[in-house]
Amino acid sequence: MTAYIVRRVLQIIPTLFMISLIVYGLLALKPGDPIDELRFGNPGFTQADYERLIKLYGLDKPWYVRYWYWLGRAVQGDFGPSRRYGMPAAEYIFRYRLPNTLILSGLSLLVAFMVAVPAGVFSALRQHSVLDYAITFVNFIGVSVPIFWLGIMLIYLFAVWLRVLPAGSVQTPGIVGGWAQFVDRVRHVILPVTALSALQMASWTRFMRSSMLEVLNLDYVRTARAKGLAERTITYRHALRNAILPIITLIGLAIPTVFSGAVLTETVFNWPGMGRAIFDSIIANDFNVAMVALMFISLLILAFNLLADLAYALADPRIRYD
Amino acid sequence: MTEVMKKRRRAGQRIAHGESAWHLTWRRFRNHRLALLGGTVILVLVLGAVLAPWISPYEYSRTNLRRQFNAPTFTVPTDARLLGHCTRPAVLFWKCGMHPFGTDDLGRDILTRVLYGGRVSLLVGFAAGLASTLLGGLLGATVAFAAGKLDAVFSRFVDTMLSIPQFPLLLILTGLLASREVSFAVRLSEILGGAKSIVVIIVVITALSWMGAFRLVRGEVLSLRERAFVEAARAIGASRRRIIFRYLLPNTAHVMIVQATLMVGEAILIESGLSFLGLGIQPPAVSWGNMLSRAQEFLYYPNGIYVALFPGVFIFLTVLCFNFVGDGLRDALDPRFGHRV
Repeated sequence: MTAYIVRRVLQIIPTLFMISLIVYGLLALKPGDPIDELRFGNPGFTQADYERLIKLYGLDKPWYVRYWYWLGRAVQGDFGPSRRYGMPAAEYIFRYRLPNTLILSGLSLLVAFMVAVPAGVFSALRQHSVLDYAITFVNFIGVSVPIFWLGIMLIYLFAVWLRVLPAGSVQTPGIVGGWAQFVDRVRHVILPVTALSALQMASWTRFMRSSMLEVLNLDYVRTARAKGLAERTITYRHALRNAILPIITLIGLAIPTVFSGAVLTETVFNWPGMGRAIFDSIIANDFNVAMVALMFISLLILAFNLLADLAYALADPRIRYD
Repeated sequence: MTEVMKKRRRAGQRIAHGESAWHLTWRRFRNHRLALLGGTVILVLVLGAVLAPWISPYEYSRTNLRRQFNAPTFTVPTDARLLGHCTRPAVLFWKCGMHPFGTDDLGRDILTRVLYGGRVSLLVGFAAGLASTLLGGLLGATVAFAAGKLDAVFSRFVDTMLSIPQFPLLLILTGLLASREVSFAVRLSEILGGAKSIVVIIVVITALSWMGAFRLVRGEVLSLRERAFVEAARAIGASRRRIIFRYLLPNTAHVMIVQATLMVGEAILIESGLSFLGLGIQPPAVSWGNMLSRAQEFLYYPNGIYVALFPGVFIFLTVLCFNFVGDGLRDALDPRFGHRV
């Protein structure tokens, strides 16, 4: 097992390397450079300044050379400056953007899981009931609705029409400290989390339902029933424990999707998170920010895939990795 | 049909013969009520999109600054100046001056724009869904059949691509191809003109969505290639290409058809997201996604909600129907799933 973990962790390194190469290459193909922004806003900017800066930033060199320099500094933890925000790109992302994104995506995954498991189990236990059909139908809606449109509709309903929840941002300026601030932040998080969790909630419920149905038809459940165990015990102690296993891997696989959804959700709700930061920095040619954010998310995805595999092995003793 | 059978048929006798695979599939599909409903709605939407100029009395891009943000209305205003420009006085019950879905910020009829927008959104969906499935399927079948190093390299590449969040990559690629400073992108707009953003979106979505089909088909082919009929084909000297196209790919059709159906919906969702951010379909072309690009600002205007409501409902409805159809096809095509759900 230890050897397996070590091997998997070591495998992450070349994968990250490949990801960085792909993303850097694509970003470098995009025309325009960070100097454009300096140049257009500044009438005193001369051609000599331009050439000096191009040289200073190494932009006169081909992209693979720049990539090499970037890589050399990146492995030492230096991801270069953000020219737009006037601080190291890593600091900007980790200090100002990461916490917001973690709150939004983490809560969404949590809410999706907490709703999907009971809903799926219920749906499976009462197969072909009206509520089962209702849940299945709602699931279809969840996987079909565009996230950003759902967000806009939620804003209209709860912020514009009913006026019970804020339309965006993380908190109301001025409300600081204690219980009031906590309530304020919770109120801000409700709508974006609802929008972002819809897709995962729906697909996990579907998965949970079919997983549960499969397990309930297995022989050992029949044995449990035959020896006279209470239906409750059979359902929760015997069936659910096995049925929930495949969901663990899904959580790992959901992270890229949640993150892609976060770009749109953060835009709609004016939520200062990483998704929005990546979008803005790509548009503004502030590539160091996009690079550090994308690399971090990719690392997160790889780590969660590994964790999911390990959790799966821990939860199911039949699975052995060597 | 043999002579014996013809004779029997003339005699009015029933002939017992096996159902064809397609007939069987259709019969199973027919029993899936939601799938049938979904298929019907999709047909109606496609018809509406294709026949848009003959359904609507308006032009989709003609503005009418006297009727901005109009609520849905079926009454024709008495003041003729409010009518705006119509291509014809009426189409059946839809008279010039009626706005069944209301009007947008520039006084354009929303239903008309939804019909025309459907052309682009459905085109992008069908083209990208089909192309990504074919590309992924072909690559998957080829590398799985070739096995060895090629297979290892490709699978590794796909795993890597799947650990990068897709949306930022889509943003980078569309930004790249939409740029006026990349010579390749400029050449592209010279050739394609106004349709460029549509082609770019289709290409970009395809380029980043073939991995699903790749994995599915690769998995199928890995088990198929060990089967006796493939061995037999190899034994009679069939070429590699013939084995892939005539023996392997047709046997993965059930996976590919379902995948393509679901991908159409997925592609429509991606298009709408990109267009919403302003990186997808560019005006004056209209798609359901780019109709929404400024919708959020209008939420606070009186009657502004209709700008956001209707295009979104159509995206949602279309994707929902493709998911229904995909589900029905999965049940119908794959006997193993036949008795589930």
